[in-house]
This record gives sequence, structure tokens and C-alpha cells, in this order.
Amino acid sequence: MLTRYLKLYYLFCKQNLKVMMEYRMDFLLGVLSVMLQQFAGIFFVKIVFDHIHQLNGWTFYEILFIYGIAATGRSIHHIFFDNLWTLGWQYIRPGKFDRLLIRPINPLFHFIADRLQQDGFGQLFIGIIVISTAMPHLDISWGVLEFFILIVMIIASGFIFVAINLFFATLSFWMVDSLPIVWTIFNLSDFARYPLTIYHKGIRHLLTWIIPYGFTAFYPAAYFIEGSGFQKLALLTPVVAIVSCVVAYWFWNKGLKAFTSTGS
Amino acid sequence: MIVVKNLEKYYKIAKRDPGLRGAVKSLFHRKYETKKAVKRISMHIESGEMVGYIGANGAGKSTTIKMLTGILTPTSGEVKVNGIIPYENRKQNASHIGAVFGQRTQLFWDIPVRESYELLKHIYEIPQKQYEETLAEFVEVLHLEPLLGIPVRQLSLGQKMRCELAAAFLHRPKVVYLDEPTIGLDVAVKVRIRNFIKQMNARYGTTVLLTTHDMQDIEEICHRIIIIDDGSVIYDGSIQDIKAQFGDKRVIQFELEHSIDHFVLPEEIRSAAVVIPKTDEDHHVVSVSFSSKEISGAEVISCMMKHYPVLDLTIADAKIETIVEEIYSKGLKGRVQHEEIH
Ligand SMILES: Nc1ncnc2c1ncn2[C@@H]1O[C@H](COP(=O)(O)OP(=O)(O)OP(=O)(O)O)[C@@H](O)[C@H]1O
Ligand SMILES: [Mg+2]
Repeated sequence: MLTRYLKLYYLFCKQNLKVMMEYRMDFLLGVLSVMLQQFAGIFFVKIVFDHIHQLNGWTFYEILFIYGIAATGRSIHHIFFDNLWTLGWQYIRPGKFDRLLIRPINPLFHFIADRLQQDGFGQLFIGIIVISTAMPHLDISWGVLEFFILIVMIIASGFIFVAINLFFATLSFWMVDSLPIVWTIFNLSDFARYPLTIYHKGIRHLLTWIIPYGFTAFYPAAYFIEGSGFQKLALLTPVVAIVSCVVAYWFWNKGLKAFTSTGS
Repeated sequence: MIVVKNLEKYYKIAKRDPGLRGAVKSLFHRKYETKKAVKRISMHIESGEMVGYIGANGAGKSTTIKMLTGILTPTSGEVKVNGIIPYENRKQNASHIGAVFGQRTQLFWDIPVRESYELLKHIYEIPQKQYEETLAEFVEVLHLEPLLGIPVRQLSLGQKMRCELAAAFLHRPKVVYLDEPTIGLDVAVKVRIRNFIKQMNARYGTTVLLTTHDMQDIEEICHRIIIIDDGSVIYDGSIQDIKAQFGDKRVIQFELEHSIDHFVLPEEIRSAAVVIPKTDEDHHVVSVSFSSKEISGAEVISCMMKHYPVLDLTIADAKIETIVEEIYSKGLKGRVQHEEIH
């Protein structure tokens, strides 16, 4: 069962990569533009820190580290799960979603595997570069265990992005296209690229317990930052990821059920 | 193979007053209107049958097919395909069925046809040897060879439809649903597709349920037709039977010198004949339908010629087209009487 899906995913990917190579120019431009976008964000932080040494007790490299985890986690979502954006306008509205329902495989799997997003690679490169730039400046010695935890945290971060987008994309089953909502929610994740301590308590709680974007960057990064005070909470990151995914998948199945009873 | 009992599907349509005010109002409380797309239909289709499922636009054909494929959950009633309840065991059902929806593609848009088939091979877990044999056969019958290397998005409608058909039959499904597979195709492609369907049925015993507005499709492929009108089955039986039942029907097409906008049937034949509503845009042609038991063709013609300058005429006998046209426009005899009582 699992091996079957892995094999199928590999085959879908292979096809998607071929298409990507066909549009080589698009690939390069996409990657470059995303990298530029990310650079702009980092540049902004740099300018801020040219004037101050610390932001609410956080140093430049600490913030860079948070930023890097956000970018890398997000890139997982961006590369492999980008199709979530298109549920309403590319699948449900033109009736293409029906096709997924008459195949003997899980429709969510089919839907996700249908697309691989090249632009996400730009984000991945930037994320890795930023993390490795910031790492040596943190007060921590990097052993195998730390690396392992870092990778787990990043994967968990990616899946939290996925779960949140899946949850709100699922609304498309009821309202034809939930894209504007997905966008609005997704933009909240920008807050999580900075230390949550700089925000009002309300926002902090929202981003921790309601829409857990805090666990996509700030908390996982805080685990590695001595004296941040969030080390314990940070360990919850993988749990939050799993719970979010379970909730989102449950909601997706509800949406699917609603869709098959209304047909639109 | 397909068992349907008292199947119903109601759509809930959100009703909204026109304009911005209506839109705002609908945000707060919505009124719903129920559309009864399929009403208590029952049918029983045996393995290996090829059945034409026909009806006017909006009659409920596609809705029925969506329930049979598991895409839609019925409002009430029973449906079983090959012993499986499609909407409950969608994936299990999916591995035994194939489908073509004429209006939209099942294939992968960006990748070449051959690679699409390769993916389907894995999705449906078709054994390699069977896959190769099947594909070779389809390539020959549907002339797919020149198309295999081309991405689906670059194919013409007719080319795409041939590829779609092959995709639907590739895993040798027990049942195939074809929802308007010949829509918009030229005659040559239609013929090829019909032959392919017949061949699949003969060779693999595939059960076929076909909807179409092209009666030629029906006449060449199906032995049995089910006619549905406004969500209810109004005829279920063999084509021969319906022809016998309506065998006395005749239709004469008159081409007149003047526009038919103000045309009325001459008084003398009004009790025995009716005008078939127009479907095309030709304003000089009128079709008159009648029963040869009640009035002879000669009488109709001479009467028409007495009242209108006739340029040309063609007589059609009980072809399935004319019968179906008549049924769509009037309903079956019993139904018509029934409605007149009310
Ligand atoms: N998703 C939907 N929501 C609401 N109403 C619908 C929906 N789909 C179809 N209908 C309505 O249900 C009725 C039956 O539609 P259906 O598509 O089954 O007809 P059909 O027989 O396939 O027609 P056609 O020959 O035009 O394809 C129509 O009146 C249609 O407007
Ligand atoms: Mg239809």
C-alpha cells in the first residue's frame, strides 16, 4: 500500500520533472524570482539591524536563523504541495476534480501528485544558505543530534504549512473557490518569520494555538537559541505538525463528502 | 451488472435576488431551491449489454452517470454496480469502470499521450503484458500511432477523443460510461469510435452505457435504449420495439418559399399532424409529423401544397431520430393524455 503510493509518487514526479525541463526558461525564471523575493525580505532585516543591534533582545543572526527555517519549511510546501492553491479554480470549477474521483487511488494523493512546483527550489536554496550562514553565530555546538533535530523541525514546519493550506483550500468544496481566504491566512505566516515575542499577546496566541504558524519558524528556531525561553514549547513542533495534518485531513474528507453530495 | 432502484438526486441551488442588494442579502440568509434532477429511476443492465441513455438537454443523464461512477452521492434510492455501492466504495468501484466525459479530458494535460497511458498502467495496476497487448490493439483500431508522442494539450478534439477512449478501456473495465463521446466530432472519427466501442464489447464483454444526442450512435451501437425526460425514465426497451410502436410515424420536411415564422398547419390536417419544433436556424424548413394510420402522406403533401408554395420536400420514415424527437417534444402517448387531463 505505502510502497505502491511511493512508487506512484515517483512516477508522477518523473513526469512533472520532464514537463519542467520542457519549460526550462520558466523553471529558471521562477526559481530566480522567488530567490529575489526572499533576498528582498532578508535585505529589509539587514537594513533594520544596521540601525539597531538588537530587536527586542534578538540578534541579527538569530532572526536570520528563524527566517531560514521559515523559508526551508515553506519550500517543502511550495515544491510538493503547491497544487493546493489550485483546488477551486483549476479543479472544482472546471469540473476537473471529478476525474480524481473515478481513479482507484486516494483523491488527495492524486491531487497533490499532479503537480511539482519548480519555483519552490529557489526558496529551498535561499533557506539552506540563510540557515548555514546563521548557524555558526548561534551559541550552540552542532553535533549529529542537533542536525537531526533541525531536520525534523524543518520537515514538521513544512507539514504545518501544508496542513493549514489544506484546511483552508478544503473550503473550496463549499464555496467554489476559497483562494482569497487561503491567501489571507497564508500571509499570516509572514508574522512567524520574526520572534513572536515582539507581538501583542493576542497575535501570539493566535499564531501558536489557533493557526500554528509559530511552529513553522519561530519556535523551532528558538529551540536552538540559548535562553530564548521556548525550548520546551519548541519540542512540541512535530506533535503540532501531526495534529494539524490529522485535523486538516479530517476536514478534507468532510469537504469531499459535501462535494459528492452537492456535485458543485 | 448495474442495478438501480428508485434512484433520486436533488440539487440544492442557492437562490439569490438580482443585483448587489441580492448578493448582500444572500450573505445573511440564503434561500434554497430544490432541483429534482433525477426522480425515482430504476434500471437493470446485464453484463455485456450496450445501452443508450438518451434524453433532452437537462434531462438528468449526466447526473445519473455521476451517481453510477461514485462521483455523486444519491439523495435516495439504491445503486449497485458489479455488486459495489459506488459512492461508498469509490476506489474499489473505480478499478472496474472506465469513463469518458465528452466535455473534459481524463488524460494528463501536459504530458505526451504515451506517458499518460504509462501512468494509468500504474494507477490501475495493469500487468505489463496485458498493457502492451491492449495498447497495441487500441493503437491499431483507433489509429493512435502518430499521436502517442504528443502532449494532450496539443491534440485536436477528434484526436483527443480517440485517446480518451483508449484510456477509458485500457484497464479492461467491466463497465464503461460514455457521456457524449462523439460530441463535436466529424463523421469519420465518429465511425471509428463506434467501431472501437463495438469491438471492445464483442471482445471483452464490456458493459457500455452511452449518452449521446447523435441517434446514429445509438442505432449503430445499442440494442436497448432508456429514454429519460425531466428526471424520469419514460421508455426502457429495445430499439426494435420502439420502432414497432411508433412504426406508423412519418415525418415530412417541407422547404417553403417564404419564411415559416408565421406558419400554421392547414385546417384540414391539423387534427392528424403536428409540427415538430425547430432545433436549427433554417427559417424555410418545417417538419410535419403524423401517423400513417390516421392520414396518408399524399394527403399531407397535397394539402400543404394547396396552402403554401413548397419548393422541396423529404419524407422520413420511422427512424429512431424522428421517434425520439417526437417523444422529447410530446412525451409518450400515455404521458400526453395524462397531462391533458390536468
Ligand atoms: N451541480 C449542479 N448543481 C445544480 N443543478 C445541477 C447541477 N448539475 C446539473 N444540474 C441540473 O440538473 C438537471 C440535470 O442535469 P444533467 O447535467 O444531468 O442533464 P443532462 O441530461 O446530462 O443534459 P445534457 O444533455 O445537456 O448534458 C439540469 O436541470 C441541470 O441544470
Ligand atoms: Mg450531460
